[in-house]
Amino acid sequence: MGKDIADVESGDFAVSTDKLRKEFGDLVAVNDLDLRVRKGVLYGMIGPNGSGKTTTIKVLMGLQRPTAGSGSILGERVPVRRNIAMIGYMPQEMAIYSDLSVHENLELFAELYSVSKEDFAKREGELLEMIDLSQRKNSAVSQLSGGMKHRVSLACTLVHDPEVLFLDEPTVGVDPELRAGFWDYFSKLKTNGKTIVMTTHYMDEAVRCDVVGMMRNGRLIAEGTPEELMRRTSAKNLEDAFLAYSREGGA
Amino acid sequence: MKLDRVLAISRKNLRSLRRDRRTFAFIFMVPFMMMLVFGYTFGGEVQDIKICVVNLDEGSTTGSYSWSIIDELNSTDALKIVTIYTAADASTDPVSLVHDQVERAEIWAAVVFEKNFTQDAKANMFKLAHGQSFEPSNFTLYLDGTNPNVAAAVSGSLQKALQTVLGDISPIKMPVGMTTEKVYGEDTEFIDFFAPGIMGLAGLLVTFMLTIVTFVRERSSSTLERLLTTPATEGEIVTGYAISFGILALAQSAVILVTGVLLFNIQIEGSFLIALLVIFLLGVGSMGMGLLFSSIAKNELQAVQFIPLVFIPSILLAGIFWPLEAVPEMLRPISYFIPLTYAVDGARSVMIRGWGIDQIWVQVAILILFAIAMLLLSTYMLKRRK
Repeated sequence: MGKDIADVESGDFAVSTDKLRKEFGDLVAVNDLDLRVRKGVLYGMIGPNGSGKTTTIKVLMGLQRPTAGSGSILGERVPVRRNIAMIGYMPQEMAIYSDLSVHENLELFAELYSVSKEDFAKREGELLEMIDLSQRKNSAVSQLSGGMKHRVSLACTLVHDPEVLFLDEPTVGVDPELRAGFWDYFSKLKTNGKTIVMTTHYMDEAVRCDVVGMMRNGRLIAEGTPEELMRRTSAKNLEDAFLAYSREGGA
Repeated sequence: MKLDRVLAISRKNLRSLRRDRRTFAFIFMVPFMMMLVFGYTFGGEVQDIKICVVNLDEGSTTGSYSWSIIDELNSTDALKIVTIYTAADASTDPVSLVHDQVERAEIWAAVVFEKNFTQDAKANMFKLAHGQSFEPSNFTLYLDGTNPNVAAAVSGSLQKALQTVLGDISPIKMPVGMTTEKVYGEDTEFIDFFAPGIMGLAGLLVTFMLTIVTFVRERSSSTLERLLTTPATEGEIVTGYAISFGILALAQSAVILVTGVLLFNIQIEGSFLIALLVIFLLGVGSMGMGLLFSSIAKNELQAVQFIPLVFIPSILLAGIFWPLEAVPEMLRPISYFIPLTYAVDGARSVMIRGWGIDQIWVQVAILILFAIAMLLLSTYMLKRRK
């Protein structure tokens, strides 16, 4: 018997939305979304392209204004200012400075988050080890492979040791061995009480999340632990479970 | 080579342009504007140079040469006589009054005819006719030689007026002579005149273009989005940009100044640092303008099109190569809206006239206002992105 959502959902919400809606002209990208993510939970958002995952994250990060409804992070309504230093965001794109070195990128973000020099020195070593780029610390990012750049981007997100992390497809372009390393690190973060909200297309990754939210056409069509979602639809894997929920048109 | 494929590529390019209406409009607007501004500016001559005249000449029974010369000067488009002082104004010491006006750059030049100008000229003409030697009857020109174009136009107009009034009588040797006293710019050469203009132009263009290119890249690579999710506020991002590009503008100006001094021996009568301050302010404002334009643009192509839009009026209308007096009257109001006009004027006044901050405070104030306005507007545009 796998875990149920009730087993992982206890405590305060780290992230929540209330009838959150985002329209782009006639297109409804996020459709009255009610999302609840408790503290210390690794929440995976899955769904096809255009299902509203990235837009939801961008609205929560204050990069786009909601058309209606609201969202909050750590109890503060978005756009967050007071708690902004407790949040980390890794966008889908690399979003790092390719003409700076790995170290300079990390240092820039550490300074933007007011991380002290001592903390940064400690943290940088740990992060470079996690992304396996200690040897390339002083290389210009433009000289790195796509996967390496992605790893640097993740390290920049983590440099200020945030409480809540929004990771938009963090493992795209990362080789399987390193992906496993990433997941070990995510587990460690979770053990330390961090909340992670991530989007992914990899079902083998979604299975490792505490709670999975399935999105389609801007709506949350199903939510639960991976085991729960599969059990409810009698599916062998999350992909089949998603297809089953899609056919139902929501559950 | 297959024509179908070639045409397919051409069609693709034109189609994508059709959807980008702003670019499409720019393609036609920029050459039109270039032709318009270049045509008008190159077609124009120096006009309306402000001068004053002090006429103490008592004339003679048969008339006054000085008034005839003044009439001639009045009839040229190049000069604009602001005030004519006569012997009746003697209590106010009109000579030192106009000298001060030239010194304060309120007028470009002042012409002073002495008491016996006509009488001496007539006596000289008599001597000339009888082959006797004579000392030319003098009149004095107080000239601001900061701008060689203006100085040449003033001297040229005076020579022409003299020739018209007295030339028929004695075309070979003039019975009168002009004493020129340069209030500013005793040894000013064109390079001295250009150097502040080039400093300003480089300060404007490089910071403007660098900002546009850098900021469009920030947007397209999503680093801007990422910056905006950190505790850095929009104001902090804009200020960070302003400082870095302001420093670049300063470094550039220093290179131009050092090159000018070492290789071309340009004059720096006033403070080197005040000249740099003027360019720094311009650099900060231009950076803000670059940020503003790059936030209006939807893509790199649109952003790059703003460059000639700023470049052409700046190079032609800001008084870099020729004085504002040579800008056609209908375009002159635009000159006063171009910040570079004030930067060049300020830097030139410091470098050639040797002025201090107290004398160029208007230019400095305008540049500060421009910089503040651009920084606030670009911060607002960044906030509006959300």
